[in-house]
Amino acid sequence: MLISWRYKHRNSIMDRIDPRSRWIFSFAFLLSATMVWSANFLFPFFLIAVVWYAFGKTRWKETRRGWMLVGFMLFSMIVLNTIITGGGAGGVVPPGGYVLWPDGFVIPIINWHIYFGLTVERIWFALCQLMRLGGVSLIFVLIPYTMDPRAYGATFRGLGLPDKIAYTMELAFRFIPTLARDLSVTLDAQKARGYELEKVKGGLFKKIARIAPLLVPVTMNAIIASEDVANAMDLRCFGQAKRTWIFELNYQPWDYALNAFSALMMIGTLVAVYGFNVGGFWVPDWFMQLFL
Amino acid sequence: MAEKKKSIWKFGTREVVFAAIGAALYAVLAYATNMLQLPGAGNVAIRPAVVIPMFFGIAFGPIVGLITGLVGNVLSDLLSGWGFWFWWSLGNGLMGLIPGLISASIVDYGEMKSILMGELFVILGVIGGMGIASLSEMWVSGADMNTVLFANFIPASVSNIINGLILLPILMVAYAAITKRSGR
Repeated sequence: MLISWRYKHRNSIMDRIDPRSRWIFSFAFLLSATMVWSANFLFPFFLIAVVWYAFGKTRWKETRRGWMLVGFMLFSMIVLNTIITGGGAGGVVPPGGYVLWPDGFVIPIINWHIYFGLTVERIWFALCQLMRLGGVSLIFVLIPYTMDPRAYGATFRGLGLPDKIAYTMELAFRFIPTLARDLSVTLDAQKARGYELEKVKGGLFKKIARIAPLLVPVTMNAIIASEDVANAMDLRCFGQAKRTWIFELNYQPWDYALNAFSALMMIGTLVAVYGFNVGGFWVPDWFMQLFL
Repeated sequence: MAEKKKSIWKFGTREVVFAAIGAALYAVLAYATNMLQLPGAGNVAIRPAVVIPMFFGIAFGPIVGLITGLVGNVLSDLLSGWGFWFWWSLGNGLMGLIPGLISASIVDYGEMKSILMGELFVILGVIGGMGIASLSEMWVSGADMNTVLFANFIPASVSNIINGLILLPILMVAYAAITKRSGR
């Protein structure tokens, strides 16, 4: 089994931004975008996310898998829940509103009369959801493709996480190829004994239980190996002093500018929402006029 | 001499290594078994690997369980190219943390009482973890309670509970054999 990271150095603008600044921006964006439902805020946020995504210089072929997951999420949240059932609009869109087809409509040929309570407000809310979820997705889908996995430990330490937690992340990244190889060897050994993971016969319970001959040896071997690693680390006095990291991170002037922008975006949204009470859901007149 | 009480919140060298190994194992197994789909439940995958944070929580404590689930899910999403969804990773972490709360009370992992207690806390862990993750969709996506319940919480919880209930006893019995044999 081949396991590889999706990251690739692309010589892009994103490659030049400090990973700490990228995390700060990503979380500032998430918090800012999720504080508002007004398109006056969501549209600029969406544009910022598009520009940010373009900085990554990723290709559709590479990111297709991530977008398939996002597409499913957007479809279930926006099309199924907001447009068709009206569930997604609960709590944000006020009850009532302008119904598009008050008398329902007839489907030609089969002559079915359908009553569909879709309102203009729900359509606008769906667009707002698209901008909000789309913007958040643009920011977070990019991460696996543009962030060097070797930088995670040093990055999270730099963001203030304790040494031990940052080191755990670093260690986990480094164990992945070893465990993938162990899993592959175990799978081959079990297959030689007649084991079939992909066997389609049997119900759900049998399918899950069929994983055991693979899961048990790999997990137990990993636990036994952990004891040796822990002993070696103890012998080298792990955790007795502040750690240093091979992967060094240095802020550049543009990273400070990005940090300032992230802070401004978040504080600005906070003040607007809680200080001036703006940012709530509303439908612009020009959009209403399209349907009246 | 009185025996020193086992602290479940300790995070020393052994816990750092177990959490790292657990996270890597969870990521690799989740990645390897992604092809198993739950029949009739949209895009919800059967993820037998969810038993890893639950088992690591029970065997090595709640912090190890939390990190195994949280970091393991982040790594698995990074490997699969699915992006970074912090609230779902946190939910996975809680699925390891909550079963880990009983880690100090388990002496023999092969004992029926320990297994039953583990199973009970697996159910509570899944409800807590997937509950938090699903509720966060209300905040992020603006979905209502019905949507969150039927589109997120129930499919994810049922699948994870079934996986946990079937695979946890197998891992606990195997681990009991190892601890007895090696005197750990």
